[in-house]
Amino acid sequence: MIELKNISKDYIDGESITSALKNVNFKIEKGEFVSIMGPSGSGKSTLLHILSLFDRPTAGEYFFNVEDTSTLSDEQLAHLRNKTMGFVFQAFNLLGRSPVFENVELPLLYSDIPKDQRNAVVLKAVDSVGLSGKLNVECGHLSGGEKQRVAIARALVNDPDLIFADEPTGNLDSKSGAQVMSILHDLNEQGKTIILVTHETYTAQFAKRLIQLKDGEIISDGAIKERRNAKDEFIK
Amino acid sequence: MQNRDSIKTAVKGIIHGKLRSLLTILGIVIGIGSVILLMSIGDSAKQVILGQVQGVGSNLLFAVPGGSSGGRFSAPASSQGVVIKTLVQGDVDSLKREPTILAVAPLVTGQGRVISELNDVQTTFIGSNEDFFAVRNLVIDRGYKFTREDVDSLIQVAIIGPTIAETLFGEMDPIGKTFRMKNTTFRVVGISEKKGVGPLGIDEDSMIIIPVTVAQKKILGTDYYNLILMQAGDSYDVNFVKERAVSVLRQNHRITDPNKDDFTIHTQQESLELLGSITSIMTIFLTAIACISLVVGGIGIMNIMLVSVIERTKEIGLRKAVGATNKDILQQFLWESVILTGVGGIIGIISGILFNAVIYFVLIYIVKTNWVFSLPPSAIGIAFVVSTLTGVAFGIYPAREAARKSPIESLRYE
Repeated sequence: MIELKNISKDYIDGESITSALKNVNFKIEKGEFVSIMGPSGSGKSTLLHILSLFDRPTAGEYFFNVEDTSTLSDEQLAHLRNKTMGFVFQAFNLLGRSPVFENVELPLLYSDIPKDQRNAVVLKAVDSVGLSGKLNVECGHLSGGEKQRVAIARALVNDPDLIFADEPTGNLDSKSGAQVMSILHDLNEQGKTIILVTHETYTAQFAKRLIQLKDGEIISDGAIKERRNAKDEFIK
Repeated sequence: MQNRDSIKTAVKGIIHGKLRSLLTILGIVIGIGSVILLMSIGDSAKQVILGQVQGVGSNLLFAVPGGSSGGRFSAPASSQGVVIKTLVQGDVDSLKREPTILAVAPLVTGQGRVISELNDVQTTFIGSNEDFFAVRNLVIDRGYKFTREDVDSLIQVAIIGPTIAETLFGEMDPIGKTFRMKNTTFRVVGISEKKGVGPLGIDEDSMIIIPVTVAQKKILGTDYYNLILMQAGDSYDVNFVKERAVSVLRQNHRITDPNKDDFTIHTQQESLELLGSITSIMTIFLTAIACISLVVGGIGIMNIMLVSVIERTKEIGLRKAVGATNKDILQQFLWESVILTGVGGIIGIISGILFNAVIYFVLIYIVKTNWVFSLPPSAIGIAFVVSTLTGVAFGIYPAREAARKSPIESLRYE
């Protein structure tokens, strides 16, 4: 699904050049649950931005579903993001004054799903995160856990193959955090590829594979031996 | 993104910032309202002024003393305050003999203090002959007009307007009563029909009309005319009659070189065209002033939209993250400004019409002038097009700023 070849990213500020990523290489297959972990300044956010097609690398090649993304225009990248990717952010990034329904519907506005089919798709996504009863509640009035579940429903509504979760439990209490991880776990079980970006070892251990970054380089990449079970954590 | 969704999103954006949107719309309402109002007032003024010139009579020609130096509409020297004495009784007699001319009314005008047994007042008088009433379409409400004999015999009679009649004689019947002007006593023989105050503030109901001979010999002490009014015969083309009149006066004044004419003759049509062009310029001038407020409204839109773009940076980032293209974001913000100006434009058009109606009622029923209600369709069309264009013109920059935002930077924005 994803293949990075010698990806580098430099930021130029006046005369100083900062290398955020240096020759990063890896592949992620469909259905994987990967944690990308590293301390602040390790390059994990830069890597997430490149993987999610928000940003382009300075050097190297990024193949998404075998297609070289460097050949795609910004508009094509936006369409690709809309069709194949879902996003869950630490800060939820919801439209606070809009109801749950409209927040979840948002990606559909930029897709080619006809208007008459949108209702059913939104209801299904909201139902999958257990918020059917709050469809018309303004997101600003929801709890942190509920907000993140709305964000997950929004990430799911276009039925993407890949979900990016950027510190999804960072702003949540442990119970809500576990619930969110449990939902991501289920989605992975259903075949969705999940890429989780975190600086916490605890959260990273819910994934099947861990890529660790330091100073823009991969320092380890392998399966997690003692994987945490999000279901069990949530029940506790 | 489909246009319908884009518009729906824009409308939601507008509703979420209600107060901000209302204030933005207000700027456009004032701008568009002013354009409608001033264009309508300009058009009304044009109709009233032209109506008054037409109301003076039909098929008219005006001879004024002094030649015009150049173009068709050049003003004769006499209209610039220079006293020119070239039009005299001999000219009137010759013009009366010209078969293409139906009636000839020479005119002198002046100001005088008028004293009656009840009151004394400063007013304007006109001295003319018996043809004046027919040429000017002046109807005598009560009494009678003075005759050729009255004029020839220097009889001191007067036709007065209803307003001055009331001022001078109160509730008494003015017919047969006398008043004094410059030591001359006049007997009122007729009251002219009520005409009201003209748009230029000339109150025709306060005028006094006396025989031209009396005015010249007993009041002004002159033997020349300020103006000669002529009515062309019905079966003749007015321009042909003008040529004939010019030829008669040149012959009288022994002028061989047309460039040395000491008089100027205008047809009523030429005067209408001149007045029409003056009022059109006035309307354009008024509209240009109104457009300044529209530009200010447009800058208001741009300002508010720029603030809105900054306030909604995170929303822009989110929309881009979930698949919005630069074009989608540009469209959304452009629709917002176009809808704001569109709504402002519609409310502005309605307010402009309402204010126009209020002005009409005030001028008709309170100030009592001969105002007409005018609402040129072009004013509405122009106002609507301009308001939409304002939305696009002043909305495009903020919308482009929004579209250019990097999704990463936008999502990080606090």
